[in-house]
Amino acid sequence: MAAAGTGSGFVFVRNVCGLFRDSRLAVLARPQQLSWFHSSSSLSTKNWEKKNLKVFPPQLPEEARRPAEVHHCRRQIKYSKDKMWYLAKMIRGMSIDEAVAQLEFNDKKGAKIMKEVLLEAQEMAVKTHNVEYKSNLHVAESFSSKGKYLKRIRYHGRGMFGIMDKVYCHYFVKLVEGPPPRPEQKTGLDQAREYVQKLKDRTVIHSL
Amino acid sequence: MAMSMRRTLVGLYRGARYSLKNVESSVEARHPLPLVLPVRTKKRYFIPPAVGMKGKKHEDPEAQARAAGIVIQQQFMERPINIACTAGVFDPYIPPEGDARLSTLSKEGLKQRTEQIRQSAASQLAIRKIKEHDSLFSTKTFAEQAQEIFIEAHRALTQFNKEKLHSLVTERCYPEMTRGNRHKTIRWSFVESLEPPRVVHARCPDMVTKGNLYGQVTVRVHSKQTLAIYDRFGRLMLGSEEQPKDVLEYLIIERHLMNPYGRWRLHGKIVPSWAPAKDPVIRTILIPGPQLKPWEEYDTLNHEVPKPAAVQWYK
Repeated sequence: MAAAGTGSGFVFVRNVCGLFRDSRLAVLARPQQLSWFHSSSSLSTKNWEKKNLKVFPPQLPEEARRPAEVHHCRRQIKYSKDKMWYLAKMIRGMSIDEAVAQLEFNDKKGAKIMKEVLLEAQEMAVKTHNVEYKSNLHVAESFSSKGKYLKRIRYHGRGMFGIMDKVYCHYFVKLVEGPPPRPEQKTGLDQAREYVQKLKDRTVIHSL
Repeated sequence: MAMSMRRTLVGLYRGARYSLKNVESSVEARHPLPLVLPVRTKKRYFIPPAVGMKGKKHEDPEAQARAAGIVIQQQFMERPINIACTAGVFDPYIPPEGDARLSTLSKEGLKQRTEQIRQSAASQLAIRKIKEHDSLFSTKTFAEQAQEIFIEAHRALTQFNKEKLHSLVTERCYPEMTRGNRHKTIRWSFVESLEPPRVVHARCPDMVTKGNLYGQVTVRVHSKQTLAIYDRFGRLMLGSEEQPKDVLEYLIIERHLMNPYGRWRLHGKIVPSWAPAKDPVIRTILIPGPQLKPWEEYDTLNHEVPKPAAVQWYK
């Protein structure tokens, strides 16, 4: 009877372990997370500006010098986010001088605004964020997003109407110190070598 | 999303007419009709802005209220401001030329060493006034106290403990100490004191009204300190942590004498005109050149960088 008791106990323990293998209960085993909904209390969405307030600990002399980063944005620009995206995609990865030059001679409305934002960010970097050379910056991230739209009526014939959106967008940019990273050039020989390697790495199952 | 306004309106009218007819017939109660529920139109989540608002003139709500006879109590937006420190340094101490440079064995050095505060009558008067209001004040012990305040204040600055810093440093000195330092890491340490601190100067200015007295005492501190400032990314901006430097400072400690809860706090520092130049910051700084017209050329050889005049300034 004792053996049966221990046997059933052992099976019970095995079942419990099996239960814990289930992901939700395994989470419960971790003491730090006891709820399955996010409990941050802030409603503010101005997180890009907050990225400039992060302080890193002092570096030891043997560590590589951390490149400076500046986050800047402009909110509620009277322009379409889709049209802004084309310009943002264009300047991704460029050095700041190149980006400013390209935007200066671009005919779009968003180009003028983007250029102002980039120059503001460059000035901020030199004045506040201890960037030594103002040309030694490149655009690491650049994207646009939807702002708060105003709604108006667009009148159609026969008493029909539509709701017209007055579009606004936000533009975000992150400048990082250093020359722009060069995309690696793959030669035909490299690609061929990779292809042959992939063929060699195939696993053949049920073979002799 | 085009919708038909007419259709819904027509529907509304029809519904209204049906319900009206219903009321009349139910009074007679010949044929009992089924219960009629009022029909709602489709709920509009977007209500377009009303037409005809453009030409509306701006009404004066104040005039309307007065005409209607509503009396509103006059609200005076006042807030009392407590000033706990003076705006600057009153009659600053001018440190003698070559202080802490001359050896104590030479004649000039001895003269400076034996310089007593009794020479300055105004300082004596000020100290007497301070002793009236603060009985615990003594020139001999105050210098040590001042040095301790200085060390504690700088330690609080490295940790950026705002409350402690406000209790050790006046409101005038606080922005000067902390401007630009919020997102930097400062590592400061007081290695040792080379000479015992001395009270060299005292004044008792009053602010606004005649009786509102503040006491300002200048203390001379000669010590060894290490300072290293790291920027936001942890890169060294200024100084070094291992190399200590000899520092001669004239600290101004202030207290609001009229206030029984007033405390002696660091108010500022005097930097003499003959002080050695500070270490340069570890970066290159662009000094803007002269503004040139399109036809002018920049003469590299003759252009001089303007150097600031060596003036005593108190900070």
